[in-house]
Amino acid sequence: MSEIISRMKDLPSAHLLGAGTPMCSGCGGLEALHQIYDVLGENTVFVNAAGCMTLLSVYPFTPFRGSWLYTAMASAPAGAQGVRDALDLLIQQGRLPPEEDLQVVVLTGDGSAYGMGMSATSGAMDRGLDFIYICYDNEGYGNTGQQYSSATPHGAATATSGGTGGFPGYKKDLFSIWAAHQPSYVATVIASEPLDLAKKIAKARDMSGPRMIIALSPCPTGWDYDPRESVAIGKLAVKTGVWPLKEYENGTVTHTRIPRERPAVEEYLKTQGRFSHLFRPQRNEALLTEIQQRVDRYWAQAQ
Amino acid sequence: MASRVLGTALFRSGFTVQDAPKYGAERRGAPIFSTVRAARGTAINERGVIHNPDLVVVADDTLLTVPAAGILQGLEQGAVVLVNSRESAETWQHRLNLDVQLVILPAAAEVEDRAELPHIGATCAGAAASLLGVIAPDVLAAAIGEELAGLGELVVEQNRRNALAAYRAVQDKKGLVREGKAVAAGDYTPPAWVELSVDDVGIAAPDVRAVANSVQVRTGLWRTLRPTIDYDHCVNCWWVCSSLCPDSAIRVENNTPIIDYDHCKGCMICVGVCPPHAIQGEPEYLAQQREAQSADTGAGDNNGTDTADG
Repeated sequence: MSEIISRMKDLPSAHLLGAGTPMCSGCGGLEALHQIYDVLGENTVFVNAAGCMTLLSVYPFTPFRGSWLYTAMASAPAGAQGVRDALDLLIQQGRLPPEEDLQVVVLTGDGSAYGMGMSATSGAMDRGLDFIYICYDNEGYGNTGQQYSSATPHGAATATSGGTGGFPGYKKDLFSIWAAHQPSYVATVIASEPLDLAKKIAKARDMSGPRMIIALSPCPTGWDYDPRESVAIGKLAVKTGVWPLKEYENGTVTHTRIPRERPAVEEYLKTQGRFSHLFRPQRNEALLTEIQQRVDRYWAQAQ
Repeated sequence: MASRVLGTALFRSGFTVQDAPKYGAERRGAPIFSTVRAARGTAINERGVIHNPDLVVVADDTLLTVPAAGILQGLEQGAVVLVNSRESAETWQHRLNLDVQLVILPAAAEVEDRAELPHIGATCAGAAASLLGVIAPDVLAAAIGEELAGLGELVVEQNRRNALAAYRAVQDKKGLVREGKAVAAGDYTPPAWVELSVDDVGIAAPDVRAVANSVQVRTGLWRTLRPTIDYDHCVNCWWVCSSLCPDSAIRVENNTPIIDYDHCKGCMICVGVCPPHAIQGEPEYLAQQREAQSADTGAGDNNGTDTADG
C-alpha cells in the first residue's frame, strides 16, 4: 500500500470499508473515512471514541476488515496507547511478525477532539505516540441532535444555540493547538477534495509518531441541507476560504490549496439551514460582515 | 407529532393517555416509532413499548420491508393496520398474509420523494382518530391547535386541513379499532428462556471475526430516490463518483462504476458530481414500477447493474 498518488486516476478503486452502515444518507464523515481507509489499507486497527461513528460497528456487524476498539469519549488516545504498546510487546516477544504490525488509528468526532478528549490527545502527542488521529468534524454533537461543540462556527444555529445570532462562540483553532505540540504531522482534509485527502493520508501513513488529521464533514442532518449537496457544500467551504486545506510538518505550516478568488462566504452559508437566520426574515449584515472579515483576516495573515 | 396529537385528542375526549416516541440509534433514513396508550377512567400502570397493539399506523409503506422497523411484531388477530401506500389493501393483504384488517390511508398530496411527505403526521393522526371512533372532528382540530401552537397559525391550519381530510377519507371504517382488554400485572407471562451451550467464541459468535459483514445490512431499503448510470454517456471517470459516494456503494469493475442498489441510500451525491451528467435520479417507486413491468413482459433488466432484490 505505498503507491504514489498524484492524480485523480491514482485514487484507489477498490473500496475497503463495507457498505451497509447506519450512518446518515449523504454523511460527509463516512465519505472521508472510506477514502482514508482505502489509502491506509487493511492492516489498520481503529480506536473509536463515542460519537456518530460508534454506530459503525454494532454487533454483529462491522464495516471494517480488522479490529475496532470502542472507548469513552475522552479516552481514545489512551486506548490507542494500549493497543500500540500491546503490538510492540507482541513484536518484541516474537509473537507477531513485524510485517503483520498494524497502524493504530483513533477515530473521533469534534465533540471529543475539540472538547472533552483534548487532554488525552495532548498527552499522547507529548509521549510521541505512534498513531494516526482522525477527527471527523461536523461542527457539533451530531449523534445526539447537533448541540453546539467547541467546533461550532460563529453564528450557526444548533439545538442549543438558537435565536437571531446563533452560536455566540467561535470555532476553536484545533489545527494550531495540535501544531503547537510539534507532532510529526497535522493536516486538514475534506472528502469533497479526494486527491488532496489521499495525498495527505498517504504521507501520514508512511511517517511515524503522532499524525493528526481533521476532516471537515458536511452533515445533512446537523447542518440542515439536502444530502445530495454534501460535496457541493464541501467544495464551497474550501473555495470561500472557510476551510483552509493545510498541513504542518517540521515546524512549518503549508497551505495545500490557496483559493485565489474567494467567493463571498455567504455563498457557503446560504446553502445551509443552520445559517438561514442570517438571511431571513432580513439579512443580518453585521454578522455576515463579521464572518467574512474573519475569513479575510485569516487569509491575509496566511499569505 | 402524530402520537402527540392523537394522545391529546384522546385526553380531550376523556381518556387517560400515555404517548411516547422511541428512537433507535440510527438517524436520517432510519425508522422512528411512537406509541399511544389510552384507557377509560382508569390509571395506566403499564409502561414501555406496546407488545400487542390494537392499531398500527404506518406513515411510509417502504418501512414494512425493513426488518429493523419490526412493524408486524405482536400483531394479533383482528388488529388494524393503517398504511399510507399507493398500493391497494388487497395487495398488502396478499403480501403480508396476516389475519389483520388492512386500511389504506390516501395521503393528501402526492410527492416524488417519499422522504418529504408533507403533513404526514397530521394525516396519520386524523385517520387514526377516525378509526378509533371515539374522537370527534372538533376535538381533533383542537388537539392540533394545542400541539402545534408554537409553529404559527398557518402551519396549524395546513395540518388541520390534512388531518380532517384523512379523518373523512376513512370515515366508512369509523370505530374499526376495538378496545383491548385491560392489562393486569398478574397476566404477564415472562419470555421463555432458551438455554445456550457454552461454546468456543469461534462457534458461539463467529461474527466477532467476520470481515466487513455490514454488507449484510441492506441500507438500500432506505432509498426514496434512485440514481441510475446511463452507460451511453458515462466516460469512465470512476474516481469521481466512486470516491465521493459516502457508502462505498459504487464499485469499479474494468474502469466502469457500478451502483450497488442493495446499499445505495439514495443521497444523490453521485448525480450532482458526475462530470458528463450521466447519472440521473428518479423516484424509487417509479423505478420499481418500471422494473416490475419489464419483469412482467419478460424483458428483464439488462443494464448491467444490481437490482434491488439482488
